[in-house]
Amino acid sequence: MMLNALGMLYPKIIQFKNRIKFKGEGSYTRALLMTGFGMAFWAGTFVVFFRVLSYFRSIDVFGDFLAAKLLAMIFLTFFSILIFSNVITAISAFFISDELHLILSTPFDYAALYFSKLTESILNSSWMVLLFSLPVFISYGVIYRQGIYYYALLFFSMVPFLVICGTLGIFTAMLLVKFFPAKRLKDVLFLLTIFFVIIVYFMFRFLKPERLVDPDKFFTVIDYLSSLEAPTSPFLPSQWITDVLSAMLFDKLSGPVTFNMLLLWSTALAFMVMLGWFFRSIFFDAWNKTQEGKTATLSTGRRWNRILDFVLYPFSPPVRSIIEKDIRLFFRDTAQWSQIFILLAIVVIYLYNISVLPMDKNPLPTVYLQNIIAFINLGLAGFVISAVAVRFAYPAVSLEGESFWIIKSSPLSLKAFLWCKFWVNFLFLVVMSEVLIVFTNYLLQVGPLMMAISIVTIFLMTFGITSLGIGCGAAYPRFRVENIAQIPTGFGGLLFMILAMLFIGSIVVLEAGPVYYFLMSDFTNMPISGKHWIRIAVQLGLVLIINLLAFLLPLRFGLKKLFLFEKI
Amino acid sequence: MIILENLTKVYPTVTAVDHISLTVKKGELFGFLGPNGAGKTTTIRMMAGLVQPTAGSAFIDGWNIVSHANAAKRITGYIPDRPFLYNKLTGREFLWFTGRLYGLKKDVVSRRIIPLLELFHMNDYVDELTESYSHGMKQRLVMASALIHKPRLLIVDEPMVGLDPKGARLVKKIFRELCAGGTTVFMSTHTLEIAEEMCDRIGIIQNGRMVAAGTMKSLREKTGAAGKKLEAVFFRLTGGDDVGEVIEALRF
Repeated sequence: MMLNALGMLYPKIIQFKNRIKFKGEGSYTRALLMTGFGMAFWAGTFVVFFRVLSYFRSIDVFGDFLAAKLLAMIFLTFFSILIFSNVITAISAFFISDELHLILSTPFDYAALYFSKLTESILNSSWMVLLFSLPVFISYGVIYRQGIYYYALLFFSMVPFLVICGTLGIFTAMLLVKFFPAKRLKDVLFLLTIFFVIIVYFMFRFLKPERLVDPDKFFTVIDYLSSLEAPTSPFLPSQWITDVLSAMLFDKLSGPVTFNMLLLWSTALAFMVMLGWFFRSIFFDAWNKTQEGKTATLSTGRRWNRILDFVLYPFSPPVRSIIEKDIRLFFRDTAQWSQIFILLAIVVIYLYNISVLPMDKNPLPTVYLQNIIAFINLGLAGFVISAVAVRFAYPAVSLEGESFWIIKSSPLSLKAFLWCKFWVNFLFLVVMSEVLIVFTNYLLQVGPLMMAISIVTIFLMTFGITSLGIGCGAAYPRFRVENIAQIPTGFGGLLFMILAMLFIGSIVVLEAGPVYYFLMSDFTNMPISGKHWIRIAVQLGLVLIINLLAFLLPLRFGLKKLFLFEKI
Repeated sequence: MIILENLTKVYPTVTAVDHISLTVKKGELFGFLGPNGAGKTTTIRMMAGLVQPTAGSAFIDGWNIVSHANAAKRITGYIPDRPFLYNKLTGREFLWFTGRLYGLKKDVVSRRIIPLLELFHMNDYVDELTESYSHGMKQRLVMASALIHKPRLLIVDEPMVGLDPKGARLVKKIFRELCAGGTTVFMSTHTLEIAEEMCDRIGIIQNGRMVAAGTMKSLREKTGAAGKKLEAVFFRLTGGDDVGEVIEALRF
């Protein structure tokens, strides 16, 4: 039986090996960059937790208590994230995956299918959480001076914990599929995931973690944390694993290790067996349901068409057809329009951050500080626009998907095609960036000079950011992704973010000098010297050149690479 | 209408198309045959502008497919073997999209859509999203979209895959009528009976090289298969007709 399950997993293992073996062009650079960023993130997490835990440890009485509470919160978060991601992966693995057609046409064994899909689903949804949680657990181990037994205990408690999360997630997925068509369900769940991420993001931001560094407020924070009633229900598996590790880390704080360990293993095994029974009883029915076609009821949207016709009137028919098609697809595809929620979350948090800046507490003169912050705000706004562009401009080319043959075999040149994508995204981004910068500067109450500088700079920067997004997206298109949210997660997306940061950084650095001279002259009522005027001219000239290069080069690079792209 | 001169496509590990030269006249229905992996689809994709040739040149109605790609594409209709479409567009919207993509005015698209829907029997489902279409329905839609700008050359990769007998008969009839009206059809297929029945001339490619091209009569003469079907000619040119070996291999 298990041999058959392994046999079913065999193609996955081989495919994974082949992906490493048959590398494409530039894959070493990609691998190096991705590993570099992974390591940096990993190291960053370790440093943060190391410092927080060292700090906790230095506090008498409360320290261990806080560390234990933090651990409970971490496992509770993992518990919910893992169940949720298992629901998503289980729907694909158990019901939508193409290989199921092949497997079901062979004399397959239910148990083998169940075990292979269970393993696939749990591994797919857990590896990333596991990988990025390692620095957290290592920092606990280092701070509380643990040896090999701690890591062994961590491993042996983590395995059943992952199985419990997996089986609960898969069970939920099966229940849902029994009642709804799986393909429609995937859209709904995708939407829920986005909401889930946004809520977590908001919750974290509104907890105001910056209060931890404010000595005035620190003791109230400790009081607050201590008073937090972290769910310590004895029925939650996250609590069992917390108790196992806490017993090891803080000696006497929690109950016996063996009892909790047995709880974890027995629950995991029992859930696995019960889910197997459930799988056997519902699978075929649920599978049949996934094969039902989707019927769509669409409004003709005549009013909407008329507005589009009017707005797009100056463009040629091919350009209009591309823009109209993109707009239609955007509003019909849940995966696309739901990205707007992420955009809103980014913008709201950004505006909130600006609005809560403690301007009055600083010893520097308010006017001076306002302008300095407004200048830094330019860089931040650029970063926000890049974060939005990576979700909208960067995937613009990849969104053509496997239908890209239609564009490439048509008389519309790739250059015109890329310009279509550029202008649609630019218009959207420039309106957003100008509204953001004017609104945040208004919140900061900056003077007219700084306002003018900000408006012009962000306008020029948006050309570069959009061009970088479209150019990188065209150079590294991903036409075959199942989910559009995956598009920016590849090498091209990373490259875009790095280049966008370098671009924004260089503009801000080059403009700092001239802005300082202008502000000082304004502030002191003194004219700018000739020497400073030369410096201003050179630096602003460089700013213009960089903006021009950032506007032209990425589009040219993307066009060249897309022209040679033949895997369609 | 089509001139291929030493057209070549080399990939890092394989030469997919190796110095192919060929001429197809206006109004001709040319069948392009060959075993799997012979280079048919690569040749077709080069002609459709999806893949760039490594060497050699190709002309469509006098336009070089590399230096004047858009002019060549403007008079070409392309039907791929796998009809990938925009899933969230309806069939009608897709036809509008392709018509406009080829630069047609609104009234022209509007006028041409009606007979195409009739011709391909799509009226019942044309206002549904294409994601709910079967392979055959998608294939019909792609064919209709390839004809909307009235191309002078139609390049078709495996036209009969996924079509029911009624659809296949319809397609055969459409291709013949298009040729009678002066349109050139360049078609790759594995169905030898269809090629024999429909094509004015047939080209056979193997390992990226053109092994023969001509009318059925000239191919029979060349292979010494007088009076025989295309199947016999095909196997004589490409090998692999040793059925005895196959039967032996199946006795494992």
